[in-house]
Parts: sequence; structure tokens; C-alpha cells
Amino acid sequence: MEINFTDADIKFRDEVRAYLKNDYPAHVRDKQNNGIELTKQDMIDYHKSISAKGWMGYNWPEEYGGTGWSSTQIYIFQTEFGLAGCPPLLAFGVSMVGPVIYTFGNDEQKAKYLPDILNFDTWWCQGYSEPGSGSDLASLKTKAVKDGDDYIINGSKTWTTLAQNADWIFCLVRTETTQIKQEGISFILIDMKTPGIEVKPIITIDGEHEVNSVFFTDVRVPAENLIGEEGKGWTYAKFLLAHERFGIAGVANSKRSLNTLKGIVKELDNEELARKVANLEINLSSLEFTELRLLSALENGAHPGAESSILKIRGTEIQQELTELFVEAAGEYALIYPGPHGHGDNAKPAGPEYAAQSVSKYLNMRKTSIYGGSNEIQKNIISKHVLGV
Amino acid sequence: MNLNYSDEQQMLRDQVQKFCESDYSFNKREEILRSELGYDADLWKLFSELGWLSLPFSEKNGGFGYGPVELSVLFEEFGKVLIVEPYLSTIVLSGTILDKSNYTNSASLLEEITSGSSQISLAYLEDGSKNDHTSTNSNLSKSDTGYVLNGTKGLVLNGGNADRFIVSAKKDDELTLLIVDADKKGISVNTYPTIDGQSCAEITFENVDVAESNIIATGLEAVELLDNTISLATLCISAESIGCMTACYLKTVEYTKGREQFGQPISNFQVLQHKMVDMFIESEVCKSLLFKAMLECESEAETKFKSVSALKAQIGKSGKAVAQDAVQLHGGMGVSDEMSIGHYLKKLIAIDALFGNSNYHLTKYSQL
Repeated sequence: MEINFTDADIKFRDEVRAYLKNDYPAHVRDKQNNGIELTKQDMIDYHKSISAKGWMGYNWPEEYGGTGWSSTQIYIFQTEFGLAGCPPLLAFGVSMVGPVIYTFGNDEQKAKYLPDILNFDTWWCQGYSEPGSGSDLASLKTKAVKDGDDYIINGSKTWTTLAQNADWIFCLVRTETTQIKQEGISFILIDMKTPGIEVKPIITIDGEHEVNSVFFTDVRVPAENLIGEEGKGWTYAKFLLAHERFGIAGVANSKRSLNTLKGIVKELDNEELARKVANLEINLSSLEFTELRLLSALENGAHPGAESSILKIRGTEIQQELTELFVEAAGEYALIYPGPHGHGDNAKPAGPEYAAQSVSKYLNMRKTSIYGGSNEIQKNIISKHVLGV
Repeated sequence: MNLNYSDEQQMLRDQVQKFCESDYSFNKREEILRSELGYDADLWKLFSELGWLSLPFSEKNGGFGYGPVELSVLFEEFGKVLIVEPYLSTIVLSGTILDKSNYTNSASLLEEITSGSSQISLAYLEDGSKNDHTSTNSNLSKSDTGYVLNGTKGLVLNGGNADRFIVSAKKDDELTLLIVDADKKGISVNTYPTIDGQSCAEITFENVDVAESNIIATGLEAVELLDNTISLATLCISAESIGCMTACYLKTVEYTKGREQFGQPISNFQVLQHKMVDMFIESEVCKSLLFKAMLECESEAETKFKSVSALKAQIGKSGKAVAQDAVQLHGGMGVSDEMSIGHYLKKLIAIDALFGNSNYHLTKYSQL
């Protein structure tokens, strides 16, 4: 066993740090460090700066224009970005639809979509959940009916993150009503400008507009946009989920928040809170080493399976508890709630700076144990695949 | 960065596992506990022949020079079947002090314990020492022929079976570690059973003659020997607790699959499934902290002690939670003494109590 990275990995880490120092756009950094919401253009600038470096395909093989990095390099890349307080890379293009296209798509599809993902010329969103199907995703009802060279799509998707910014959406649709509900599902790509698509905001309890409902009324989509085989969409969807495991723990971002929190708690001289923070720090260490153990197994040729659900469960629990402790540290100032429109006439809210954002962040983080397969679903997965119950 | 066990470490695990599975049934353990000695002298000899008693010692003292990773492997497997042989007291606590010190008689004493013919216990705790293992009221004062030792030590693990004691005492205000024969005049030993089926002793030293040649270390060397030994022992029992937790969730899964109520195995109930998943997760996150502590053993003192405290704080809490749930999911059988599951709970309570409990280590962690 060896805790240190190799010289080559350290050299790679320094390269990532050099980007963060020199090429990470300053206006994005300043907003991130001051808790100011990023605009669509900020996000585009940020992603394009990574594309310019040739790093957008950080988890892709070289043959499709990716970096071909090892799991350890990917880990270092994500960790350094997290520690520097960068926003997480939007997953919908590079981590979700991209790998599905290069694995299951045809040559025309690869040529058409992959370069735009790597250059961040297309903003993708994900059309999975529906009003009636959340954890039971395969129960989805959005219908795609073949009509000549097209599919006609009717139905609706929900919780669609940043659909208001998206150029394209990848959707799971029902192309056939079958006995086994997983079998009639197909994976299709849809241009958001197609007539018949309507995006309606869903405002979440933190007052933010992050997610949407997307309605499809007689939306005509060329059949060539279907990925792989009709009826095999469920297989591709599962592949996509498996691709998304690493980085889900959010260790580096949590470490950064924890350091801020520790600074605050030191000033407060509150022993009870200090113990809670110490406990959280221990939990975070254990999560970090759980991720490293899985990474190590992966590099050793093993295929960690459902164990990685632990990363989702513990990672989100820690993210949530962090925000709870910020609220606790804020004390009475937690009452102040800026909402999406700032502080009204008060340029600066009363109380310490972190206090004004603490409740919004706390409310925002409630989603983490619900999305990406709720934590209860993750426990079902562990129960079935690890414990064999 | 590599957190995989080496082939050699894996072979050691296989060997220990094989022994535990074939030669250490729960009934066999019960039998051993009923014996006067409280451990199996033949098995102890076998441990010696297999080389296990020499694992952590340096090659100059006839050992294998293995580190915390190999010891953790051994203890994790021991934990799975609740081994009661006095490995912790004789090998880890006393043996490590001898091995790491510059004491001239170390090699011969280590030879005696690794051959399985002698037991040594570490007597350091006293009433009122409050987890500060270097605080002592025992006293070593000058006499005509050497020194005399006075003091009372409590919770001396395996003390009733020891042929010798390593004792901490103050000599001219300096912490001193010395070794005395158990049958020396002025030593009285009062043995108590412990919650995990083993035993410890309260030992009184009344004007016991000690020669200069019995002094192992003094001053800073003595403090560091104790600090590092207790830290290593804490890591070992943490690994042991992870073995216990693993056994707890595996046994519980097996039990709930076989237990039928309302016309179906109770493992079908999601409420029980999620509890068992929680047990699994607790033992896995503890394992991750064990890896951190093992890998940081060679780091500077603060990093090392901090990662050991994090580990001990967590395993105390997780161990209790896992074993309590294991008892709960076994239903009435869980509280029956003839089932093994309750004995895991007792072991985990004992481990939490040793070398500072979860609460103590959380405080220590937050202050480091």
C-alpha cells in the first residue's frame, strides 16, 4: 500500500493547478468565491476555457477526442477543481449523452454530436423523469410514434435541470407498450428548437429556477436521431448511470466548505458546534478514503459495482449536513432570506456574510438525497447486489 | 497511490481466515472461555508455530518486521470469530514496547513470548489517570540495592496469566517503564472477568525490589514508547471491531433470510433491508478510516494520532450501532446467550471502552 501519488501523477496535478491559476476565467472565479450566481454566459465561458485546454473529454477515450486519462488522473482533475471552488462541470453532455453516443451511436451521430460536446457548442439537458415516474423510471409514458422518417413525440418530462439554457435534450421515450415495461423504451436526441416543445420553470424551495417541466406536443423528430436500436433505451440508460459514479461523492467541494465552516466555528467559540464539525470532518475523511479504495480497486482491474452507491449516500448526507451546520452557525441571522431577487433595498444584509446564504444553500441541498436515484433507492441497490437480499 | 493488499498480505489473510473458519467455532470459543486459563494454550502454541506471534517485531529480534497493515489483517480476521487469545496484551502492548525500546534484554524476552512459553502484560492504567496513559502515581524510588516500586495498577489485560509485568512509574519525576516478574515479593494480583469474556487484573506493588537492569526506558523515550504502542494497539482493536461488524451484518443477513414470519423470510421487508445496508455502510466507512490510519502510521505524530483518534471515535459509535441493530434483527434470539450475536455486541462495547472511548477520541480529535 502506498498513500502518495506517483511522480507522473504529481506532474499532472501541477498541470491542472496551472490551469486553475492562469486559465480559469477570472470573472467566474470571482463570482464563485463571493457566492454570486453564475449566468448562462459565465457557464459557457468556463466550459469553453476547459475545451480550449483540450480537457472537456476528461473521461473519454482518446479515439473520440477525449483525454484518455487514467481513473487516477480523472480523480485528481476533479479533486483539484473542487478544492479550487470551481463549479462542477455540467454532466449532461460530456458525462451522460456523450458516452452513450460514442458507445451505441452510429458514425454519422458520432461525427455530428461529439465535437460540439467537446467544444461546448451544444448545451445538453436530460429528459428522464416524468410527473408520474421518478424512482420507478421505467414506468415513463412519453410516447414516440413512428411516422414515415420521423417520430411524433407526445408527453412531458420534469425536473429537467437548466432546460431553459439547453440547445438539445436526450430523452427516454416509449416506442412500444410492452408487458415488461423496460422493453419498450428508446433513447432519442431532440433539438430544443423543434416546434411543439414548451419549457416551464419549476421554482424550488430555495427560490431558484434551476429545474423545469418540458412539454412535448406533436413534436416531429427525425428517426435518425434515435440512438442504437429501438427498444434498447433502457440498456443505454443503465450504462449512462454506471458511467456517472465517480465524482458523485463531491469530496473536494465538501472539503472546501468544511474549511470555511471551521474558520467560522473557531470565531464563534462554540464547543458543541465544534464537536459536530469534528464529527463531520471524520465522516468526510472516511468518504474520501472510501472513494480512494474504489479508485484503487478500479486501477487494479477490479470492477467495483454497487459498493459505489455508498459514495452517493454518504456524499449527499455530508453535503446536506454541512449546510445544516452553516445554518446552525448563523444562529438568529439564519432568519434573513435573500431569495432569488437579492436583498431588496439593503445592499448588505445584517449579520455575518455566510449567514445570508446559509438557508438558501441548506434548502438547495435537500435535492441531493432525492436526485440521481434517491438514497432509499441506493439502499435497495446495495441490499440486492451487495448483501444478496 | 495504491490501497490494495499485496499478495503476501492476502496470503496472510487467507491463512488466518482458514484457521478461524475451521478451528474456532463459537462452541469451541465457549469451551475455551470456561477453562481456567481463559484461552487455549495449545492454540497459542499453534499461533507461535504459524509465526503469528512474531509478526510485528523487527528482524533483529527474530520477527518478520511487519507493520500495521499486516496486524490489521490479523485482527480483522480475529474479530470475525471473537478470538480470545491474549495477542493484544502480550504481543501488541508488551511486545511492541520491548521491540521498539533500546532495552538490552528485549531480544531474549521477545524470544520467550514469541515461542509461546511466556505472557507479559502492560500495567499502565491507574485510578484517576483518565485516559492519559502517561500519567502515573506509581513511584520508583532509590534503595540500597537498586529501586523499590510502589503503586496500584488497574485494568491490566490478561494480568492474571502474566509471568511478567511492564509497569509505568515515576522515577525522579520522569516517566519510567520497567519490567518485573509476576511472582516477586510484594506483588498482589486480583483478577476480574471482562465483558468480552476475557480477564484483567488489579495489581498492587508494595515495596517491590527492582534492579537497574529491569528499567526499559525513562523520560521522553518512555513517553514515546507508550504513546506509539497505545496508538498501534488502538489501531489493532479498531481493525478487530471492523471484523466484528462484518460478522454482524453477514450473520444478520443470513438469519433474516432463514427466519420466516407472516409467510415469508423477514429479509423481504424493506425496513430490515435498509437497516442491514446501514450496518454494511457503517463497517465500510470504518474500514476506510482504518486505511487512512494505517497509511498515516509513518507520518508525523500529530497526523498519525489524529487519524487514529478519528478511527477510534468512529468505530466506537459505528460498532455499537451495528451490533445493536444485529441484536434487534435477530429478535428474541439476539438476546439469548447461546447465540453468538450478543457476544459481538459485548466485544464491541469492550473495544469502545479500551484506550479511550468514542467520546474521548472525538474530543481529542477536535483539539489536535
